[in-house]
Amino acid sequence: MGDVSDRIGRPTDNGQIGIIDPDCRLIGLHLYDGLFKVIPFDNKGQLKEAFNIRLEELQVLDIKFLYGCSKPTIVVLYQDNKDARHVKTYEVALKDKDFVEGPWSQNNLDNGANLLIPVPPPLCGVIIIGEETIVYCSANAFKAIPIRPSITRAYGRVDADGSRYLLGDHTGLLHLLVITHEKERVTGLKIELLGETSIASTISYLDNAFVYIGSSYGDSQLVKLNLQPDAKGSYVEVLERYVNLGPIVDFCVVDLERQGQGQVVTCSGAYKDGSLRIVRNGIGINEQASVELQGIKGMWSLRSSTDDPFDTFLVVSFISETRILAMNIEDELEETEIEGFCSQVQTLFCHDAVFNQLVQVTSSSVRLVNSTSRELRNEWNARPGYSINVATANATQVLLATGGGHLVYLEIGDGVLTEVKLAQLEYEISCLDINPIGENSNYSQLAAVGMWTDISVRIFSLPDLNLITKEPLGGEIIPRSVLLCVFEGISYLLCALGDGHLLNFLLNTSTGELADRKKVSLGTQPITLRTFSSKNTTHVFAASDRPTVIYSSNKKLLYSNVNLKEVSHMCPFNSAAFPDSLAIAKEGELTIGTIDDIQKLHIRSIPLGEHVRRICHQEQSRTFAICSLKLNQSSTEDSETHYIRLLDDQTFEFISTYQLDTFEYACSILSCSFSDDSNVYYCAGTAYVLPEENEPTKGRILVFIVEDGKLQLIAEKETKGSVYSLNAFNGKLLAGINQKIQLYKWMLREDGTRELQSECGHHGHILALYVQTRGDFIVVGDLMKSISLLIYKHEEGAIEERARDYNANWMSAVEILDDDIYLGAENNFNLFTVRKNSEGATDEERGRLEVAGEYHLGEFVNRFRHGSLVMRLPDSDVGQIPTVIFGTVNGVIGVIASLPHEQYLFLEKLQSNLRKVIKGVGGLSHEQWRSFNNEKKVVDARNFLDGDLIESFLDLNRSKMDEVSKAMNVTVEELCKRVEELTRLH
Amino acid sequence: MGSLFGDWPSFDPHNFSQLRPSDPSSPSRMTPATYHPTHSRTLPPPDQVITTDAKNILLRHIYQRAEEKDLRPKRAAPEHLVPEHGCKQPRASSSSC
Repeated sequence: MGDVSDRIGRPTDNGQIGIIDPDCRLIGLHLYDGLFKVIPFDNKGQLKEAFNIRLEELQVLDIKFLYGCSKPTIVVLYQDNKDARHVKTYEVALKDKDFVEGPWSQNNLDNGANLLIPVPPPLCGVIIIGEETIVYCSANAFKAIPIRPSITRAYGRVDADGSRYLLGDHTGLLHLLVITHEKERVTGLKIELLGETSIASTISYLDNAFVYIGSSYGDSQLVKLNLQPDAKGSYVEVLERYVNLGPIVDFCVVDLERQGQGQVVTCSGAYKDGSLRIVRNGIGINEQASVELQGIKGMWSLRSSTDDPFDTFLVVSFISETRILAMNIEDELEETEIEGFCSQVQTLFCHDAVFNQLVQVTSSSVRLVNSTSRELRNEWNARPGYSINVATANATQVLLATGGGHLVYLEIGDGVLTEVKLAQLEYEISCLDINPIGENSNYSQLAAVGMWTDISVRIFSLPDLNLITKEPLGGEIIPRSVLLCVFEGISYLLCALGDGHLLNFLLNTSTGELADRKKVSLGTQPITLRTFSSKNTTHVFAASDRPTVIYSSNKKLLYSNVNLKEVSHMCPFNSAAFPDSLAIAKEGELTIGTIDDIQKLHIRSIPLGEHVRRICHQEQSRTFAICSLKLNQSSTEDSETHYIRLLDDQTFEFISTYQLDTFEYACSILSCSFSDDSNVYYCAGTAYVLPEENEPTKGRILVFIVEDGKLQLIAEKETKGSVYSLNAFNGKLLAGINQKIQLYKWMLREDGTRELQSECGHHGHILALYVQTRGDFIVVGDLMKSISLLIYKHEEGAIEERARDYNANWMSAVEILDDDIYLGAENNFNLFTVRKNSEGATDEERGRLEVAGEYHLGEFVNRFRHGSLVMRLPDSDVGQIPTVIFGTVNGVIGVIASLPHEQYLFLEKLQSNLRKVIKGVGGLSHEQWRSFNNEKKVVDARNFLDGDLIESFLDLNRSKMDEVSKAMNVTVEELCKRVEELTRLH
Repeated sequence: MGSLFGDWPSFDPHNFSQLRPSDPSSPSRMTPATYHPTHSRTLPPPDQVITTDAKNILLRHIYQRAEEKDLRPKRAAPEHLVPEHGCKQPRASSSSC
């Protein structure tokens, strides 16, 4: 490894080029204009000292090594100062450290030539891809073909001999380029259209006609090239898509389901691959069927015979009756009867039992019923005066508790229920479980029991009901549900409390001991725990006011919210018509639904087929407004049309469109209201982008109202430039227009109509691209003059500068973290914060925004928004930590959390210790990577921490954890707890 | 069987033969686990540090030219080296004058 940067030199405009000689004699790098850096290999493959060679061509478009040359030879595609494009070849003379004129050159190529493809032996030479022609060139041959105008973005070689190539263009069309040849001499070129893919950034022919299309503008794809075309004439079949959120140009944080949990809606992708992506945390239930049913007290599914793979019956219990639903022949759920069951009372528990039997527990008895004839076979009655309070069962066992603290254990035989053991406990029993987690899937050797009064959970052995473990839970909240379960081979006891807290313990199944107690808060209401399986893996559903799925990944328990408001009961219902479904009781309704894949983040794509650049949500009209553009391709000319579109926030369908003028671009959109007007409006800012102007000198602010699902233009105001940003500000509208910040009042005309009227403004920016406000303060992110702070003075009706950061940062996004701290992102992939210095002694000090934090993110941030993807519970510690979400060009969504100082210091120490344990691949230093780094300076990161690195603590093995724990002088358990808390921020 | 384009190359016929395409309308999201090396095996060998020749290209060029000059024989040496300043020999002709 090493550093190949040079102290002087102008970084190339067209990106860095790194290439390797096909005969492995050297690596070539084009990093700075006019320089070609060579890293030679010796014959053992060792890298030797690198050196620069002067390259006369300053505007280089592409460089490749040629095949089959005795000396390493490069071919350079460049543009001269008259904008003509040529190729030239050079031999690299390693000994002289210089170029020697190469074997051939070719002048005056296609004006859009931008890509070179070196052809391997035996043909050798190079293919030059232009926008209107493709040329094959070598020392002794020159062949050209015209093509339909297109910009080729990527190529992939199909055959080892280089006779066929796949070409991907800017509209996502995939072509096959064929070099025809005879006796190793190129005779011509042919090109064929194969079909359409995502706009390709990379194309890799894998094998057997399978091709990977890597895309930075849309989802990447695995495609198959068929030998025969389909009905639409396409040879391309898309088999798999791989989610890519990039480039995220804008996004908004909304709570569409109104559950108090944020979802991010991004403007993703570019051109025809543009889409909206709804990113949310948690698991979705996809409703299949639902009926209105009030007052459900419990639900269980039952099979009609022991070896039936599907459930037939759904037992639904109410306060004074039990109803049985079953699937009929038309796959409809209809009411039926199980004669042997008692249906005039509430059912406490039901289960399938061995020998084609069903068990029903009511407050007075346990009934054993034949599952095919549905007749009662046996009944066990509770003693008079001791009604059954809680009960549980599995295929061969029943455990129940009656009043007076009696615990009764029964076993199920063929037509018989046998009372095996009775135990007298000192207090009443609140919950029970005998879910078999041992080797026998029909029989449990342990029973978990939750107690009133002493608030404990106990483990008993079965069948003798001996107490093995007693675990006081602490506090005054009784356990409401206990569950024995196994995740990834590890046994756990879960215990849910009446206040929405959940405790989990590691359970030693041979000794019955409980260890490693952990407590999390899932909701505020009592929780009911049930297991279910999805994709052959067992998970636990915690029904409460915040329904949650508990699952395990990498032997860690994870909690994921379910996108339902309140669930009182859940049971798995795997019927032939609704396989792998869940029956869910919520808000007077019984729903059958399937569950999403069990994972933390869910992404829904809404492909729009056009490039979306801005988005905002309006709660009142339940709509989104977007700014988008569509490429119109005609044979003569490509043009763009820009739109403001209105979308329904549930269906995401376009419901109204406003088309902008020719050359008019939409730059900003905002939902806001004005003082003295109860309506809510959408305001859009535009710019007229004329080909002859460097900067727009004209734009518009458009004010729309949503009426009957339509965008109605209410007012418009011409501006003297591009309206880069719009903000609601003190009941008025604040716009960033070219170099100016401008405030508009919403005035009532005499005829009752409204208009925007300019009130005051502030000059002094290069381009005021990003604006955020808080109270009377305005924070401006400038194109190249970092962040400045303005204040609006009501009495004077004026906006004045209060302070600025004098660094020359080129901004890409700004946000206000709190009254004094402002966050910025700049174009060298760095983040920084500046602090308002109100207590400064002099005007000069007060006028300076002091840099507080600096950090290299390695991502180009396009937008910050306040908000969170996770449910914030007011009672939890993490609920108090403010967070900002960011979206980047690469499609990264990240969270920046403002930590309390004490926590920051602790985690900083943890981070520096983790750096010693987790080593960068290839010896790259984490500290160096995170250093703030732009053309002017490199300084260590400060006041920022790398959450990904800190969270990787949880993935370390125990000995490495111990190592960190020792260095920190904090127990591993405490470290795990604090890092886990952090993971709940996102 | 051929087509307009000829057959697609195959390196191993088993590759992708078991592929069951998922529903292309619901993209798959694979979240690969992040690799955290806690060992030093990926560190580069200590003798493999790439450095760049710090010499300026122009200076390098001048030195190279100078070296070339030094190496190049200035003039073809005479076949028989005759001492320039040796004992002077009387010219044969002079004796004849």
